[in-house]
Amino acid sequence: MQKLGDFKLPQFFNYPPYFTLQPVRETGKKQIQLWNDLILDYCKTHSIFVIGLEDQDFPLFSNPAIERSLTHEAREAFLSTLVAQGRAEWLDKGRRKCLVLWHRIQDWANIVLDFVKDNGLKDSVMTVEEIRSGIESRGTELHGIDRTVLMRALKLLEQKGKLAIFKGTTADDEGVKFSI
Amino acid sequence: MRRRPGIGGLQTAAAARDQYRQLGENVAKIRTDLMKEQLTTFRTQLEDFARKHKNDIRKNPAFRSQFHNMCTKVGVDPLASNKGFWAELLGIGDFYYELGVQIVDICLATRPHNGGLINLQELCSLLRQRRKSDREAVSEDDCLRAISKLKVLGNGYEVISIGKRKLVRSVPTELNKDHNEILELAQAKGFVTVVEVERRLSWTTGRAIDAFDTLLDEGLAMIDDGHKDGVRRYWFPCVSSISTPVGADG
Repeated sequence: MQKLGDFKLPQFFNYPPYFTLQPVRETGKKQIQLWNDLILDYCKTHSIFVIGLEDQDFPLFSNPAIERSLTHEAREAFLSTLVAQGRAEWLDKGRRKCLVLWHRIQDWANIVLDFVKDNGLKDSVMTVEEIRSGIESRGTELHGIDRTVLMRALKLLEQKGKLAIFKGTTADDEGVKFSI
Repeated sequence: MRRRPGIGGLQTAAAARDQYRQLGENVAKIRTDLMKEQLTTFRTQLEDFARKHKNDIRKNPAFRSQFHNMCTKVGVDPLASNKGFWAELLGIGDFYYELGVQIVDICLATRPHNGGLINLQELCSLLRQRRKSDREAVSEDDCLRAISKLKVLGNGYEVISIGKRKLVRSVPTELNKDHNEILELAQAKGFVTVVEVERRLSWTTGRAIDAFDTLLDEGLAMIDDGHKDGVRRYWFPCVSSISTPVGADG
């Protein structure tokens, strides 16, 4: 099985027709499913949050071994399906950048709650930056999390009364008070 | 017996014919009886053989195949029923039943990819991977026998020959001669193009496209527009093995 670093690529990745959007509905449906599972899996493994459609560095869109590349149309089609399923969001109207939610926002919110419990942070205060890069975050999925995604999760928790977000001393240093 | 003219002569001739006929029937009966006796002896010997070589039959696919051939010649079908001497002695009924179930499983699992047509070699390979922990090896012959038993149950499983390969069909798709010819052409590289079909089979473009469209609709073919020469290729998962790496010059 081909590997990208340590990541095991599924066998369909080596079969040329999978790089062409299939016109027959059933075949196409299955193709999209396979690609979406791969994209989510890969992003989760590598903690990738944003995919640029024309990004040369994103290795899933082409397979040099079989000389095939997904057309822009195909890339957009696959990601659009992910968006429709709530597993991704377009970051711009031109659909050039896509936020990948390999954990849904709700799942991230739960991870934050676990983080708070595990570190005994009830009633404490922490900056957003500390949540995503502080010592406590190391070894957790929160480490290095995309800031936009984290803010969304925090806002969701704020709506549920689990915490309060407030502006810090500097423009980009927001803080969180946990009331869980 | 000398033939004598007159009625007397005719009667003698008739009597002689009767006697010859009687003799003939007797000889035939003796022959049949002898054969039956030989067959019974042979069957008994086969049973003894099976008892003695039970393990070999279980473990060795080539040996098992020879054994089946012998059984067929003698008119014994070890798989005819799950009960009775053979099934109990060899547990062979269970072996093929289990194989059949696994084959159905694999066909269902691969159907989204190959449209319900899988080549026998790949099926066996997947079967062996699945049964890695089992001590009993599995041959293509075993697969074919298991599938023939599936047929009896009316599952719609069938083995068809395309060119040099055997394909196992697990869906009711009916392939016509045109489709078969395309599949056969595709065996060389795993794909064909319209031009290739037109040239090699002397078809019109319309005929080729029609056949391709049906094969696409049935989920047996996939299109590939990604080659740098810009020519559309039609790939057939059933003739290639997804586990075999495809050459870059696809």
